[in-house]
Amino acid sequence: MAETPRPGERVERFEVEDAWLVDPVNGLEGRGSLRVEGGRIVTVEWAGEPSGGAAAHEPPRTEPRPERPTVIVAPAFVDLHVHLRQPGREDAETVATGLAAAAHGGFGTVCAMANTTPAIDSTGLVEAVQELARASGSPVRLFTYGATSAGRAGQTLSQMGEMADAGAIGFSDDGSPVADASLFRNALAYAGALGRMLVEHPEDPALTKGAEANEGLVATILGLKGWPAAGEESAVARDLAILADVVASYPASAAPHLHLTHLSTAGSIDLVRRAKAAGLPVTCDVTPHHLALHEGWVAGDRRFAWEAADALWVGGRADAAPYDQSTRVNPPLRTPADALALWSGLRDGTVDAIVTDHAPHTQVDKLVEYGDAANGISGIETACSLVLAGVEAGLLPLRDAIRALTLGPRRVLGSVVATGRRGASESLVPGLVEGAAANLVVIDTADGWDVTPETLRSKGKNSPLLGRRLRGRVLATLVDGRFAYAELGGVEAALAAAAG
Amino acid sequence: MTPREDALTQGWHHRHLLDVDMLSASDIDLVMRTAVEMKEILGRPIPKVPTLRGTQVTILFYEASTRTRVSFEVAAKNLSADVVNIAASSSSVTKGESLVDTIRTVEALGADMIVMRHARSGAPYLAAQVFSGHVLNGGDGWHAHPTQALLDLFTLRDRLPGGKVAGRKIVILGDILHSRVARSNIWTLTTMGADLWLCGPPTLLRGLERWAGALPSNRRLTVTTDLRAALRGAHAVMALRLQQERMAGGLLPSLREYSLRYGLTATTLRWARADALVMHPGPMNEGVEIGPEIAAFERSVVTDQVANGVAVRMALLYLIAGSGPIEGGETHG
Repeated sequence: MAETPRPGERVERFEVEDAWLVDPVNGLEGRGSLRVEGGRIVTVEWAGEPSGGAAAHEPPRTEPRPERPTVIVAPAFVDLHVHLRQPGREDAETVATGLAAAAHGGFGTVCAMANTTPAIDSTGLVEAVQELARASGSPVRLFTYGATSAGRAGQTLSQMGEMADAGAIGFSDDGSPVADASLFRNALAYAGALGRMLVEHPEDPALTKGAEANEGLVATILGLKGWPAAGEESAVARDLAILADVVASYPASAAPHLHLTHLSTAGSIDLVRRAKAAGLPVTCDVTPHHLALHEGWVAGDRRFAWEAADALWVGGRADAAPYDQSTRVNPPLRTPADALALWSGLRDGTVDAIVTDHAPHTQVDKLVEYGDAANGISGIETACSLVLAGVEAGLLPLRDAIRALTLGPRRVLGSVVATGRRGASESLVPGLVEGAAANLVVIDTADGWDVTPETLRSKGKNSPLLGRRLRGRVLATLVDGRFAYAELGGVEAALAAAAG
Repeated sequence: MTPREDALTQGWHHRHLLDVDMLSASDIDLVMRTAVEMKEILGRPIPKVPTLRGTQVTILFYEASTRTRVSFEVAAKNLSADVVNIAASSSSVTKGESLVDTIRTVEALGADMIVMRHARSGAPYLAAQVFSGHVLNGGDGWHAHPTQALLDLFTLRDRLPGGKVAGRKIVILGDILHSRVARSNIWTLTTMGADLWLCGPPTLLRGLERWAGALPSNRRLTVTTDLRAALRGAHAVMALRLQQERMAGGLLPSLREYSLRYGLTATTLRWARADALVMHPGPMNEGVEIGPEIAAFERSVVTDQVANGVAVRMALLYLIAGSGPIEGGETHG
């Protein structure tokens, strides 16, 4: 059995034979083999003609899926939305443990939100976080957002220009919306002129005050205070109206880019679909937990959204005890119908990216009364498995799922990462082509893995999937020709099993 | 208890009483039959039996309460249990102790059963997760008040003609949205076949019609803002307490307007059957949700509810204490 390399170790030689290669950059997928030497892809051999050229956003295929090898090779994933908790809550996560978790989840690039303590609202903090990433030794790339408002207090603009110069890739008060519509409008225009996107967490705080769970059947039965879909959709509608206003009324060079993050309702997807059709510069993302889980999980239902859609939990016994604090997240887990609408947004291209909103928390902050528990799911390590579960269920073609984890978010980032301190934008999501630096994820879809406190690299063990066996196991994550995560024995075994 | 009475615990499989949604009709029947036995004990000159001698019952209340707390205390003492009372307002909770730590402390102090009230829905489930004994939910947030619903059912069976709730029209009136009493009664009364109506102003009924629509067809639940339609032909009406803070939350214009439109008075009660029972879980705001003239009239069973509460809680303490060794299969029942 091969020795497991250290994270950061250069990939001298790495070979995957007879796998399913997915190259979203060139729109190709098919059976093939790939070899890495000296940190670069040296050979890519397609067995036969790879399918491709087709538009990425096609309706789900109705014919049976082609027989494919169980090992998948794709570009390493890009996550536009993680919480690494440093500085301030090193007990919940550090940059180093967060990057290790990312690598275990198949991610080669992560973008850290600014809601640390203190909030990342100055150049010193932007640089400090980037320094922590360098010091971690992980090859996983870390980009940082700056806060939209000073101190994330929602009152005045942060030092956007200076932070942009220091490498902030965009601005966000995530964790909270920019509730003040006037400040939001100014922030959108100001960030736009800096060539930076504004990442907004859409929520109308008046409708969500004290909310504990999605306002719907489950919250009604469990007596939890509701977080209505309208609390998100009214904010999305407001944000889009203001975006249109900025496009129309500000200098063209302001070029705003609004990115709406963790959309969770069918209505939000509809609003963005219409805004995109109208040509507004808006992009959006959804999370694996909103795609695969649903409000029933709060009641102890442990079926995936697509399994529960036709037979909702209406009280009484479920698979697990109700009020599991690990299901508390903002925005809340929605209805199965909402989850299906998010998949449909991925299919038609309304949704640009899947992000994890990885939100590690300590047991102290989670093992309390449901309504007092911190919001968030430690999700970066289970993302791949949840997305592939949806692919398996026929909700999205594999290539579109991979695209939403790679090229989709890469395009949302746009050219800004080229000017970031850590540079190297071209290799963020390279195609599977000879000569490219190795930025790859290798996934075994035949075998599963057990989600346990021990298997999660993140300090955050707050996952409702704990104790569950998930299909779709990341065997290796290669970033810039270096190992970020590798289970080489697993790669050999999976390939041998697939060959046998 | 006598050996004959001990047979009652057979067929009881619930380690905790966290919600009534886990109780089958036969579970509920067993509670009712046991409560009848307990009521008989309460009628004796010395209403005390040694059943729970040596069992420590800790009453842990995070919210103010008189009747539920005292009722549990009397019930436990009638069964000869050792009762420890903890009011969260005068405990380490005010120093920031977490619920989990409090439960572990209570366990270390010898508690066998915890009766718990908490302002957060679901809190007893967290207690049950860390406590190795039995947890009885004495009311959690908006979610459940199992013993209240069971004593309400006991009172209805005691006072309704024929002693049955099946097919009877029963109305819960008022602030359903924020009511754990209403939620638990929805389960018990629909399980026992009642024709249950929920009535109140629209702001206090949010989401409930969706629930009614999702229930299987053998459970009858109707939601309306029309008081007259709700009361028409009703066999029993339960008025709920209206909290002052509903006005501050913008849910209602004023107490006065509420009492004019949704107050249960001698006038509005005429829409119900002539023999309709009047219930209230207490504490009552007389002149708001219930007129003083009917709070105390002959068809009001409010004091029966209180008296029956002791018998029903004795029955539940007895059944749960006797549920024997912890069963591996039951993680949340």
